[in-house]
Amino acid sequence: MIHSNTETIPGKEIVQFFGVVSGSTVRAKHIGRDIMASLKNIIGGELKGYTELLQEARNDALVRMTEQAESLGANAVVNVRFSTSSIAQGAAELFAYGTAVRVE
Amino acid sequence: MKFDPTLPDDSANVSATHPLREAATLIVGIAVAAALVFVAIAAMVELLIPHISPALEARIFSRSEVVAALLPDMEESLDSRTAAVDGLLDRLADHWPDNPYMLRVAIIDDATPNAFAFPGGLVAVTTGLLSEIASDNELAFVLAHEIGHFRNRDHLRGLGRGLAFGVVVGVFGVGGSAGAAELAGAAGWFAAAGFSRDQENAADDFALALVQAEYGHVGGAVNFFERLPKPDNAIEREIEGYLSTHPLSAERIDAMLALVHERGWRSDGPLTPLSAALEAPAPGG
Amino acid sequence: MDPTTEALINLGLPLLLLVATYFTGSAVERRHYRSIRAREFESRQLPAITFRTLPRRWEVVGSGLVSGSVVISVDYFKRFLAGLRQFVGGRVKSYETILDRARREAVLRLKEEAAAAGYAAVINVRLETARMANGRNGSGIAGLEVLAYGTGIKLRHGAP
Repeated sequence: MIHSNTETIPGKEIVQFFGVVSGSTVRAKHIGRDIMASLKNIIGGELKGYTELLQEARNDALVRMTEQAESLGANAVVNVRFSTSSIAQGAAELFAYGTAVRVE
Repeated sequence: MKFDPTLPDDSANVSATHPLREAATLIVGIAVAAALVFVAIAAMVELLIPHISPALEARIFSRSEVVAALLPDMEESLDSRTAAVDGLLDRLADHWPDNPYMLRVAIIDDATPNAFAFPGGLVAVTTGLLSEIASDNELAFVLAHEIGHFRNRDHLRGLGRGLAFGVVVGVFGVGGSAGAAELAGAAGWFAAAGFSRDQENAADDFALALVQAEYGHVGGAVNFFERLPKPDNAIEREIEGYLSTHPLSAERIDAMLALVHERGWRSDGPLTPLSAALEAPAPGG
Repeated sequence: MDPTTEALINLGLPLLLLVATYFTGSAVERRHYRSIRAREFESRQLPAITFRTLPRRWEVVGSGLVSGSVVISVDYFKRFLAGLRQFVGGRVKSYETILDRARREAVLRLKEEAAAAGYAAVINVRLETARMANGRNGSGIAGLEVLAYGTGIKLRHGAP
């Protein structure tokens, strides 16, 4: 499965397109990470725990989007967009969407 | 480039776990975690207690606002009722040879019969309790029970558990939501109820010994509990027996009777009538 | 009120609410999903895609902005589960169906608006999610909004 955030895939030609496919996951951070993060918030710097958490969640969203594309018989998703939104306090949604296509 | 109108698999973005299963896992998990945290803090308090001498305890809690508000003004002489209770308390404490506490008495104006042991050696009894009391022996047992809490340092344990409870509810409330905090609080409460029952029985044990030493028999001690109002239906009984911090009267009486039998004490004997100061109706009521 | 009754009420009412909202919530959800599936099938011939440019052989005769949006509420049971989940961390499964429903509903409304305006396709589709806060300080959740928007395209030959 090829993912791209452009409309074309260099060196390939789109022969067929389907509709929008999307993958989403809602993640909550847990209290252990909160405690470390609040300490880090005082001195500044990267919140590694949260970086990992969001990265993991974004991968999850991509996997789910890919599952949808596979169910259509597509072999690429083009023009992929990511969006993150706060769903509740301490919970965020990671969302990926794009157009499923067949390329040759 | 042609368009294919097939619809994608629509289950990809929803987890397969049944919501009820998810609920059960979370509820059980959080309740167990909260109970464990509670027990861990209570255990730490237990380790700490032997290192807090009664003198240190008195110093720490002399500044406590709760205790200060209850304490009779030291400058003035005690009123006759407080003095009567105080006298009985002192006589009982004399049978505890290495008593490190300066025991004092306060009377709380409250209709519910109850007695409390406050850190620093303050015993508080309610006016409701004094009006239920029919003999010196009964009052002696209640006071001796509170002395038993001091000897076992239960009042510090109580504080420790209060602290543990606060920590559990606070931490779970901040990290999760109101639901998580309530769940954690309930779990902590159950854990606390178990601890409490053992402590009450241990305090009864010591109290009976003091009463026996003072009067030569333990008559009157058990009678008081038999007279207290009991929950009347079976459901209520079960809830009280399990949850109440003081054990169910019947269970407690059985435990005491067994103990009296085991030690070979007399459970009946002449009861000493209440002193005149306590017999009189409460001032202003 | 005696303490036993009070304890029963304090514990019982939220519990009752949980059980009740579990049943009402799942009933509403089932009905919504039935409607979504039927309408998705009906509108499947109208493509909604994220392409910014048009496939070369399309002969365009008109275009215009189209959008669809929906706000979906979160029932008490789902909020309770999410609250517990926020302590442990991990996937907040109870919100997944809410977002899935909201997103599909928004896209359906986008397609329905496009079809009503005579458009044969929607390109450059974008999706936005927003939380409607409940509390004054931005806490709590009153509902989730999903907005879908894109450019409707009119074609000379009707369908792509």
